[in-house]
Amino acid sequence: MINRNLVKVLSFRYPIIAAIFLILAGGLVLLPKYEKQKGIAPQELLNKSTSPERYISTDQLADIIINQDPSYIFVDVRDEESFNKYTLPNAVNIPLKQLFDEDLVMYLNQDQFDVVLFSNDNFYADQAWILCNRLKYKNLHVLKGGLNEWYNTIINPPFPNENMPAQDFELFSARKAASMYFGVAYPEQAKKEVKAPIKTAPKKIVPVKKKKKMPVEGGC
Amino acid sequence: MKELEKTKRLSIAAVISILVVLIGLLTFKRPKIVYNVNAATTIEKITNPDYLISLNNINNPDYILIDVRNKFEFDRGHLENAINIDASEILEDENLKIFNELKKDNKTVLLYGKNPNEAIPPYMLLYQLGFDNLKILTVENSYQQNKLVTKNIEIEKSVADINAFIQESIKKAEVQPKPQPKVVSTPKKIVPVKKKKKMPVEGGC
Repeated sequence: MINRNLVKVLSFRYPIIAAIFLILAGGLVLLPKYEKQKGIAPQELLNKSTSPERYISTDQLADIIINQDPSYIFVDVRDEESFNKYTLPNAVNIPLKQLFDEDLVMYLNQDQFDVVLFSNDNFYADQAWILCNRLKYKNLHVLKGGLNEWYNTIINPPFPNENMPAQDFELFSARKAASMYFGVAYPEQAKKEVKAPIKTAPKKIVPVKKKKKMPVEGGC
Repeated sequence: MKELEKTKRLSIAAVISILVVLIGLLTFKRPKIVYNVNAATTIEKITNPDYLISLNNINNPDYILIDVRNKFEFDRGHLENAINIDASEILEDENLKIFNELKKDNKTVLLYGKNPNEAIPPYMLLYQLGFDNLKILTVENSYQQNKLVTKNIEIEKSVADINAFIQESIKKAEVQPKPQPKVVSTPKKIVPVKKKKKMPVEGGC
């Protein structure tokens, strides 16, 4: 008897299983809509963005430019007008509004170059950095203090006081030399140029040997 | 009977697979904190200066000040009625609860730090999580004789026209604006001209 009942129930086994699967499938539809947003975990992003690791100082930047390090790209995130006024040598202009434009994003979303983001201060550059980092773009840096700091330290370095340590004087002379590289001229530099003896390439004297004329012998 | 044994296996497999699906569904954990705003929308938001507010306009009962500096700085001096939430702890449960409550009450949260730059990370994070009732207070805090001094500042203001400065310096130095291309003088070949020694004419007809 038991067996017969079991057989009866089991004869419906396929409809039963199918019904269970259907109910489960229906449940999936009813699940709350979960819109997945791209990006690294917010906690991780916060940790990264509150640490000063991303910053690069103006002195480091000057060093990179002067040494013409080919592994760096400089990205100006200000608007086009400010970009045209002044920017770092060889910088690319990606205004914050067009950060994710398809033709421009290739500068940011790559892992071959180090990218230095900069603006007047580091306000816009930081914002761009945070957005790019959420999308896992790599090798991004931010110029600490932006172009204002660039002006205050490299382009127009403050002359150290007499009672400052020698280090500051060294730093000043390094920055001054850097500023000359970026086009700033100093009065004493001009004088020096006048005084400096004009170097001329040493003349090479190439003695041209003439054929010795053989004494004319004989005659007709 | 033989058939029954066969089908038992089949139904066991079916039950197990259903169980796996059920267990999977039950143990599925959604991450607690998720983004609600995508990057493109965030860019639109931050390129519109609406989210910045100056010190003069903070006298509104709906505005709540939040100080994102650390506790030490906060204790040293802070704006009136400000709440201290360290920037790095902004995503902790209790702090998110505060923000949720403020959002529910339709309050506007004004974030400030040592300078506006310090308020960016918490602002950006919270905005992308879906808190749209935030503003950044554009002030700079410093201490004078241990007293907090809060100054309004303009964001991203250029301190100097660098190009003009360079041009000026060149003028001052009285150097021609265009460096003359260096003429590389090729070393001259000096051909010593040897005078012909006049040979005594020998012979001859």
